[in-house]
Amino acid sequence: MGIVARSRVKSPWIFHLNTGSCAGCDIEIVAALTPRYDAERLGCVLVGSPRHADVLLVTGPVTRQMLPRFIRVYEQVPEPKVVVAVGTCASSGSPFLGGQMVEGPVDKIVPVDVYVVGCPPRPEAIVKGIVTAVKKRFG
Amino acid sequence: MFCGVKGETMDVITAFLLTFPIVFVISLLFDGIDRKIHARMQRRVGPPIIQPFYDFIKLLNKERIVPAMASSQIFTVLPTLAAASSILSSAILFTSVMSGTSFGGDLVVVFYLLAMSSVLVTIGGSSSGNPYGAIGFSRKMTMLIAYEVPLLLSFLSVFLKINSTSYYNAILTQVKVGSMLALAFPSMAVSAVAFLLCIPAAADAVPFDVSEAKTEIIYGPLVEYSGPYLALFKLAKASSNLSLTFLACTLFFYLPALFGDGDSLWLGAFIVCLLLALILWFLTITVPRTVFARMKVGQAFKFYWIVALPLSVIAVVLSALGL
Ligand code: SF4
Repeated sequence: MGIVARSRVKSPWIFHLNTGSCAGCDIEIVAALTPRYDAERLGCVLVGSPRHADVLLVTGPVTRQMLPRFIRVYEQVPEPKVVVAVGTCASSGSPFLGGQMVEGPVDKIVPVDVYVVGCPPRPEAIVKGIVTAVKKRFG
Repeated sequence: MFCGVKGETMDVITAFLLTFPIVFVISLLFDGIDRKIHARMQRRVGPPIIQPFYDFIKLLNKERIVPAMASSQIFTVLPTLAAASSILSSAILFTSVMSGTSFGGDLVVVFYLLAMSSVLVTIGGSSSGNPYGAIGFSRKMTMLIAYEVPLLLSFLSVFLKINSTSYYNAILTQVKVGSMLALAFPSMAVSAVAFLLCIPAAADAVPFDVSEAKTEIIYGPLVEYSGPYLALFKLAKASSNLSLTFLACTLFFYLPALFGDGDSLWLGAFIVCLLLALILWFLTITVPRTVFARMKVGQAFKFYWIVALPLSVIAVVLSALGL
């Protein structure tokens, strides 16, 4: 692995975007960053601005209100970037699939690298999803 | 121009050129150690010590985005200038200690370079066209007024004490006295306290990071910066932290002075000073940022004008009285 690829794998900065989730997944993402699961040991840092991010963690089944904002945030993340769909809503849209106000799931709108399923997924699964995504893309 | 005792001009130039890679490596390394200790204090494993190098290389190889709203020239030039000025400030200090040379007024230059790098970051933020950048700008300006005055007064008391504005004279004075400046004179002890109190604000460390406030105004000035620009700003910050702590430890706590004059051990003295700088970094940046929560702008301002400013005024008065 080259030094650039290695650096990319070792330093995934996360931006978390809620596209209409119930906040269950979001709480689990926050839990993955707490001292107990300590995602920072793998170099993950939660950043507040999409401009700093490498990994876009998307939760929720992309509601109609969120669609233009979601695309805008996706475009604000500088290349190379990775998208991880967190939760069953984001991965497949289930129970909301086909709903009146639902435009998702996420992979209908942007390319998704890794799906982390579960309602909500466990923090370990989210950390593993992030690591798998960066390894798959850059490693 | 040079008032060195040991250094030949060629040696000085070599040492000066050598310091740039040293500053780069040491500042990122200290940043990594800081993150590691921060993590250990929170009972986490924490990132590897070389994490800042990974971050730096990764950011260098990312896409650069200039927002449509930004005034693009200012936006793109400032990161380089900020990194250059803060690296230069560390380089000047390192060269002085390594080659035993300095020029009159270099402490003033270092002071300006340090202030410069933080001002440039905020100007870059305000030129980005993002409202958070503008808020960060106004907050940073408030903080600059709060901590630069005590910092400057603390410098002033040192100038009065050593009767010179040159950095190496401060070290020579300590060697001559055979003790650290902060231990030898009461005025310098007070001045050192004021200086150390100013470091967290100058470093934008947590209790005083109102201008960056990650969870509040999402990094303020840095909000629109991506890729290489962000890497340069991170480097600027790390090396300005390094030069602040290094300056504090050599100006007030020059440990090698206790072991006679450092004529034969210039490299040894340099390494001792670096270790001391790391300890000061831990005490003034890592500990506060782990222990305390962020203050409001008003509280931070008040802290500096009620605690640090009177201390530095006392230091100047004592120093003028010859204590
Ligand atoms: S997957 Fe479950 S927890 Fe996550 S947003 Fe959907 S409903 Fe909520």
